[in-house]
Amino acid sequence: MSRRRVRPVLLAAALLALGACERSADSGAIKVVIAEYSKDHTAPFWRALAEQYTTQSKVKVDLQVVDWNSIDQQVSTMIQNNQPPDVLNLNSFSSYARDGLLHPADEILSPRTRDDFLDAFARGGTYRGTLYGFPILSSARAFFYNKTLFGRAGIAAPPRTWDDFLRAARQIQALPGGVIGYALPLGPEEAQAEWAIWMWNNGGDWKSGERWTINSDRNVQTLTFLADLANKYRVTQVNPGKTNRTDGAFQLFKDGKVGMVIGFSPLAKQLDAEGKVDYGVTTMPTHVGAPVTLGVEDYLMAFKKKGNQDRVKGFLDLYYQPANITRWILAEGFLPVTKSGLEKMSGDPKLKPYLDALPNAKLAPTTDPAWDKVKLDVQQTIGLAVQPGGNPRQVLDQLQKNAIAAEGGR
Amino acid sequence: MALLAAVIGFPVVQLARASVSQYSITGLYQGSVGARNYVRLAQQEALPAVIANTAVWVAAVVGVTLLLSLGLAQLLDQEFRGRALVRLALIVPWAASLIMTSKLFVWLYDYYFGILNHVLVSVGVLGHPVDWLGDDRTILGAMIVVGVFVSLPFTTYVLLAGLQAIPGDVYEAARVDGASAWRVYRSVTLPLLRPAVLVAVALNVIYVFNSFPIVWTLNDRNPGFGHDTMITYMYKIAFKSALRDVGLAAALGVVNVLLTLAAVLGYLRTVRWREQDV
Repeated sequence: MSRRRVRPVLLAAALLALGACERSADSGAIKVVIAEYSKDHTAPFWRALAEQYTTQSKVKVDLQVVDWNSIDQQVSTMIQNNQPPDVLNLNSFSSYARDGLLHPADEILSPRTRDDFLDAFARGGTYRGTLYGFPILSSARAFFYNKTLFGRAGIAAPPRTWDDFLRAARQIQALPGGVIGYALPLGPEEAQAEWAIWMWNNGGDWKSGERWTINSDRNVQTLTFLADLANKYRVTQVNPGKTNRTDGAFQLFKDGKVGMVIGFSPLAKQLDAEGKVDYGVTTMPTHVGAPVTLGVEDYLMAFKKKGNQDRVKGFLDLYYQPANITRWILAEGFLPVTKSGLEKMSGDPKLKPYLDALPNAKLAPTTDPAWDKVKLDVQQTIGLAVQPGGNPRQVLDQLQKNAIAAEGGR
Repeated sequence: MALLAAVIGFPVVQLARASVSQYSITGLYQGSVGARNYVRLAQQEALPAVIANTAVWVAAVVGVTLLLSLGLAQLLDQEFRGRALVRLALIVPWAASLIMTSKLFVWLYDYYFGILNHVLVSVGVLGHPVDWLGDDRTILGAMIVVGVFVSLPFTTYVLLAGLQAIPGDVYEAARVDGASAWRVYRSVTLPLLRPAVLVAVALNVIYVFNSFPIVWTLNDRNPGFGHDTMITYMYKIAFKSALRDVGLAAALGVVNVLLTLAAVLGYLRTVRWREQDV
């Protein structure tokens, strides 16, 4: 073939390809963006689900599995360019609801799917009285302790109160071999979670009704306690305000260097796989009242796009079929969000401590769009309060001020 | 040419447009705000520290890299056994992904598991381990070391190419005149190496200024903006801070582009002007 003839042929091929794309879009493709919970399970499950959906409904699924580090950025770019996904999985939803981008539940879920959601998680996905954020999975934190180190330090039982906790931490820290009492991760990765658990177990909270209460006296007392752990009693790892969870606190616990840490079921999975640390899982030590833990709810949401309603509805209903959602949640090692799922999973002894904790779990105030900014603010600043010379009250005052400002602004 | 204009022009226009716009936290466009993002940028409390960090980061990495590369290039210009192997080995940090290299250094620097503390403490240089990435006094230096490490290969090869382009008879002439080795280096090698140095510095300034992975990876445990450069600060403004503001980040993006352009043009002008003077 001569050079000259190649070009028109290529051009024709390109046009054909374009035409093909267009046609498939007409017959209805949906774009589904899912966060990557694990390399092993996330993409395979959703790919299979997408194929199943395409086979049964002839609707093509453009599936994108995106890692957590870049998902905020990628979704923001999609919306800036006016190419939002049809279905999105994320850890926040209310800003999208506020911007009027989402289908409410009664337009996009069958009543059977809607009614299967556990009440707490349906509440956690509600913005101004309407359900927009559909629970995709949940997790709950629990208190992990190293049984070997507890034995060496002569501590009989895991701590129930803050006093027990401090005593245990000091005894473990005093052991020879440079071990650490408690691994406290207040670096930017997940500081809001660590902070919330300590805050709640001292009777404090993010908000009281509609009012932010980040700088309440109770919270100042809690943050001062955490700063004292680091600087006065010296029972934490070095620079807790600059330690992240995954490659910091968890790593130390997995290496057997730490007596106690706040973890969750995926950490237990890793510990079991490595088999290096003899650990126990229990409830949080508390200063006031019954122990409280943090529950985390992640969401699925459906974006309003012309004529996508039926296609998206079919896809969501397929995911929420008990067999599908439970298969995935079990594979990833997380906790159920539906009544049918809870029933199925309650027999699993490994999940018992987390499922037991679930009724007493509190969620972050994700139903408030201001939370999306408050969370980032906490991540970037609260660590500074536990560094030498840090000022807990000042840090909390600033967070409170910014939270009120975030409420007003968009 | 049209392709070039499209590839370069389109993003620039988009960036400039974004910088005068307001976006919701979700990315939803909310209208034009004129120069307001630039005014707000100038008012950010963290900005002076970030600018200072950026200046030190660029100057130190580019400067140290140039000095070390001059020596390395000289060494690799000599004939010795295994030269091919050493030349090959030098490419490795260049070929490896920046994120991988940065992660590797995170573990080398680690307070508890890092080999650096282990070695320094056991040979008695340090009395106790140092939290290289968590200590405000050491983190910038720790980042600069990695920056130099990954900039060395490119710079050395540019200088090596420059050295090999210098004809042998100039050296012979100098030797006949009885010049000392140092004198030859200063009066013959360096002036003839000037074009190569020029290119190396100009390109390195751009690379190092724009370098994201090293600063991001080594600094990810530190709260706040105390150790950010203008590039990582831009990312945090857009996605990782309470600001969550794409428009404001775009304004900083425009400033960054202009700043790099100005720095490189300024540098090239000064150098050329001096050349004409000579």
